[in-house]
Amino acid sequence: MLFLAIKNLVQEKTRLLISVGGVAFSVLLILSIQGLYQGWSNKIGEYIRTVPADYWITQTGATDMFHTPSVLPLTVRDFLAGVDGVGSAKPFSGRRVAFAHNGKDINLYVIADDTENNVGAPARVVEGKSVPGKGEIIIDRVVGRSQDIRIGDTIPVAGRELKVAGYSEGGYILSFSFAFATKEDAESILQLPGATNFFLVTVKNGADPAAVVSRIEADPAVDAISKDRFVENNTNIVRDTFLPIILVLLLIGIAVGMTVIGLTIFTSTIEKAREYGVLKAIGVSNRQLYTVVIEQAVTAAVLGYVVGAALALAVSAAAGSYVPEFITEIRWLDAAWILGVTLVMAVAASLLPVRRLSRIDPAEVFRA
Amino acid sequence: MNVVTVQDVSKTFGSGHTAVTAVDHVSLSVEAGDIVLVMGPSGSGKTTLLSMIGTLMSPTGGRILISGQDISTLSPAQLSRLRLQEFGFVFQTFNLLSALTAEENVMMPLLTAGVPRKEARTKARAALEQLQLGHRLRNLPRDLSGGEKQRVAIARSLANDPRLILADEPTANLDAKTGQDVTLLLCGTACRENRAVIIVSHDQRLRTAAKRVITIDDGRLSTEEAGEHNLHCSMHPEAAPA
Repeated sequence: MLFLAIKNLVQEKTRLLISVGGVAFSVLLILSIQGLYQGWSNKIGEYIRTVPADYWITQTGATDMFHTPSVLPLTVRDFLAGVDGVGSAKPFSGRRVAFAHNGKDINLYVIADDTENNVGAPARVVEGKSVPGKGEIIIDRVVGRSQDIRIGDTIPVAGRELKVAGYSEGGYILSFSFAFATKEDAESILQLPGATNFFLVTVKNGADPAAVVSRIEADPAVDAISKDRFVENNTNIVRDTFLPIILVLLLIGIAVGMTVIGLTIFTSTIEKAREYGVLKAIGVSNRQLYTVVIEQAVTAAVLGYVVGAALALAVSAAAGSYVPEFITEIRWLDAAWILGVTLVMAVAASLLPVRRLSRIDPAEVFRA
Repeated sequence: MNVVTVQDVSKTFGSGHTAVTAVDHVSLSVEAGDIVLVMGPSGSGKTTLLSMIGTLMSPTGGRILISGQDISTLSPAQLSRLRLQEFGFVFQTFNLLSALTAEENVMMPLLTAGVPRKEARTKARAALEQLQLGHRLRNLPRDLSGGEKQRVAIARSLANDPRLILADEPTANLDAKTGQDVTLLLCGTACRENRAVIIVSHDQRLRTAAKRVITIDDGRLSTEEAGEHNLHCSMHPEAAPA
């Protein structure tokens, strides 16, 4: 019966266009939002993943870099170095700093680039110097482009004028981004004499990580958080902040797609009620007729999905060039589940037309 | 065995003081090769009787047997199957599927019955060619004349080799000449293949094709007489009127 479904669809080209357009819009919306969510989530974790540490040591109760402040005395390093199984323990300092530049509010998470301990370097420098010198700062390219801050410009960071020496990548986190200054400049900005924010600990080969954590956490002032867990804790910022919004937008996208398919297939079913009556009269079963309607909806949905997915990929590629904050990552997995949602949407949208179909009286076909 | 046996069948719409009896205790039987013309004024119950024989409507009294089987014992799915395998329908307004070509319209019952697509296409082409429509296979209904549409409908009604063809006013939307040609074609084809035909019509000229003429008046079977039946049932398909 697929051929009848396709013939019915093709016969009414305007209606088919509306159906496909509605689903395409819906898929574009869902796939773009999901891509943004995925892109932003990854961006948050991207820099943290590059930091050389098996465990992040935080002040007790601090779970991430942004929500819960962590300040630890530098003396903790001696304690950590003495813990059996610890390979290295290096201080990691950084905090969020807000300032105004050219009339715009800018938020940076300034990290001390400690070349001596090889900690706090940018993940990737894409332009300019890869290591900041005294009085210099490396900012993320997204911020540079969106705020029109060029290499060589001077920006006022927490009362200090720092010259932008380079652009890095992989450190943009929605409302702020990572920036890198020398250890000395960072310390003067962060104002943490005799203290740091975290320690990065590596575990010696052959040592039992769980036992090492247990020994570290014997000190009630600190927590040891595995790298993966620390990444997850930071990524949860996106999830907690944006997931409810994303869910609402997803529901809107699904509702739009379902309504458009449902209405177009429903009106088509009403217009063709007599023809469906004829089919019933000549012996086509209700189940076969339902299949025709569902196949119509699914065919329109699949076409809409293909158009919508292609548009989402195009928008994703093009919008990033014009809007640097538009960071998307469209994964096969997401494309697959959105196809699944589209198909479910199509079948659900068929229920009303199917209900109408079940009420068509085949005896009506004898009426002129 | 009779193809159709109608035993004391009645159909009443509504109830109480608004009840209307459309068919009132009608009995008849139709054998293979029979061509029965059912006549009567508008509202006499002809179409209601045809709908009940076609299993599209249930009687409120009496029973209908198709090839000896009481249709009241069948489920809706079984009735669909019965219509698909045993009946061919020809309607006053042709009722072709507008999105399908002539060929695809004829293929429809075959595909529904599970005939493979290629075989269905071959059969549909043969049926249409037999009805002088070999040059119209790919045309949509909107591109066909009234007579051509009705011939496609006849080909569709014959596609599954039904034992009984039910035709409701098959000439009503056709001019006199085309109407007669189409009816002769339908009856001639059915006659040659020993199928039973029941035609509901006001058209007196159809008496020339019918073997029996039944008149219904006010829901009751009032008269039954022999038709003229001037068909040459053994005529070669090529000799069928265009």
